[in-house]
Amino acid sequence: MLSQKVAQQSLRRLAVQQPYALRWSLMNSASPAAVALGRNIQTRHAASSTNSSDPTKLLEKQRLNRPVSPHLTIYRPQITWIGSSIHRVTGLMLSGSLYLYATAYLASPVLGWDLGSASAVAAFAALPVVAKVALKATLALPFTYHCMNGVRHLIWDLGTGLTNPQVIKSGWTVVGLSTISALLLAFL
Amino acid sequence: MAALRTTSRLFASSKPLFRPAVFARSYATVDAVSQEPNPSETPKIKTFQVYRWNPDQPTEKPKMQSYTLDLNKTGPMMLDALIRIKNEMDPTLTFRRSCREGICGSCAMNIDGVNTLACLCRIPTDTAKESRIYPLPHTYVVKDLVPDLTYFYKQYKSIKPYLQRETKTEDGLEYRQSPEERKKLDGLYECILCACCSTSCPSYWWNSEEYLGPAILLQSYRWLADSRDEKTAERKAALDNSMSVYRCHTILNCSRTCPKGLNPARAIAEIKKMMASH
Amino acid sequence: MASIARQNPLLRQSCLSAFRAPWATKNVAQAVAFHASAKKQILPPLPQSIQGTMNDPAPIPESHPTEGSYHWTFERLVSASLVPLCIAPFAAGSMSPVMDAVICSAIVVHSHIGFHASITDYFPTRRVPKTHTFMNWLLRAFTLGTAVGLYEFETNDVGVTEALRRVWKA
Repeated sequence: MLSQKVAQQSLRRLAVQQPYALRWSLMNSASPAAVALGRNIQTRHAASSTNSSDPTKLLEKQRLNRPVSPHLTIYRPQITWIGSSIHRVTGLMLSGSLYLYATAYLASPVLGWDLGSASAVAAFAALPVVAKVALKATLALPFTYHCMNGVRHLIWDLGTGLTNPQVIKSGWTVVGLSTISALLLAFL
Repeated sequence: MAALRTTSRLFASSKPLFRPAVFARSYATVDAVSQEPNPSETPKIKTFQVYRWNPDQPTEKPKMQSYTLDLNKTGPMMLDALIRIKNEMDPTLTFRRSCREGICGSCAMNIDGVNTLACLCRIPTDTAKESRIYPLPHTYVVKDLVPDLTYFYKQYKSIKPYLQRETKTEDGLEYRQSPEERKKLDGLYECILCACCSTSCPSYWWNSEEYLGPAILLQSYRWLADSRDEKTAERKAALDNSMSVYRCHTILNCSRTCPKGLNPARAIAEIKKMMASH
Repeated sequence: MASIARQNPLLRQSCLSAFRAPWATKNVAQAVAFHASAKKQILPPLPQSIQGTMNDPAPIPESHPTEGSYHWTFERLVSASLVPLCIAPFAAGSMSPVMDAVICSAIVVHSHIGFHASITDYFPTRRVPKTHTFMNWLLRAFTLGTAVGLYEFETNDVGVTEALRRVWKA
């Protein structure tokens, strides 16, 4: 009786002073009662059941849930890709307006529109000077930028001018030169 | 020798005798000893916005979570900040890292809008501006800052990144190169395939299933330029379609972002020149 | 005691915090809704699916004689030829009908290649196969219309460079 009490007390002290030690000892030693009842055999549940046919199917299902990380909206604006996207946009604008005008000119006899150069000149001449300059500038800037950046692309395709400092410098040079030349063309 | 020993003992005694295990391992945190309360030093509190997404809650949208750290108590690099956040603030934050010296390519991520390796990226000391950390752009996110690069590696495999050669040398020894031939591989063999350049390329964003992207094309050129390789024609034929190479529109984000200072754009330009001259 | 600490998260927190760094601020992290992704994306990427295991190489796209290196070389030659052709009208003032026709055809070819590249980039076959085909046929029709329209303009009107010059001077 006394010995039992002593053992109990020491266990309690152990629990108060070193809780982890007690947990460790309890986990690793099976009580005599458990051994008697045959409960000392540990059972472990498998993480994945064996009857599932293909473990790669789980991955496939998870892949369908995955979001795409943000891209255009978070990438730092740099002359490289901003300049390149402006090159494409200006190209599409210029070619798009040429395509629209040329096909409209082809269809004008059927539609009854007058799209000849004489009427275009007359319409443009009737505009106030400010509108003329603004319209010329908005037409000239995409043209000058696309042309000059196009030359830059051709130089790159020769395998030169591809280092970072060269690319940054040539990019801003094209921006500056195209703006100046577009303004010159606008006041021509 | 005796003098040496005494100084070393002095040095040892200046260290505290007992330190908790946490301090011993957390190199992301500046040592506690060197950071004894210094009243003149004002804390440099910086906010970090980190992209979070948990695959266990797939219906929840990705969100930005903010953490604040004192830069005086954090190591100099972005990876130090991330490790410190994970150790001391939020153990659920998930990211890849290994070598912390820019040779494994694990910690590639988008920091303040630019793809780079977190271990090579200094924390901007401007505490007024918060730093934003995203996973590599336009990748499928496994968790938080971990992108799935499976397809990237499959593309790498598709270019046969190994020496292909049938003939043996006359003496049966190694395949020799002249110093000039070897020099061609400089700037190519250093690539660690961190995928920073590929995921910075808008063209790769839109067509990553078919376009190989700058990293893989740089590797491709590494084998095309190798004087010992004998399958150059086959390699070129495999690239001769509208998607593999020619989705490159010389945007040049790749060379701009490469954390190893390599030039994938130049490699692609060389491939295009090689392809044009057959 | 141990089991209590294990079951009670609050108690466990206090146990663990004793081992934490003293300056580790209590989780100050706060979640902010993610704003960077737009509500409605244009052509959002498809959910991720990968064919084959991760040890299989990615398939190599089919080659076609009109795509690839010949296409690229041709495109570069047209672009390079446009450099003198664009400068010529500014230098010469007015152009002969032949030169005008050469400029127009070069620009039409260049435009067609540019539009075609944009369609391949933004409407890829595996993403939107029907839109891809439709856009390509639309482009062909428009290119033909433009070519014929410019021919009409050259023969019935004053020519493109001359018309532009007149409008600019108007």
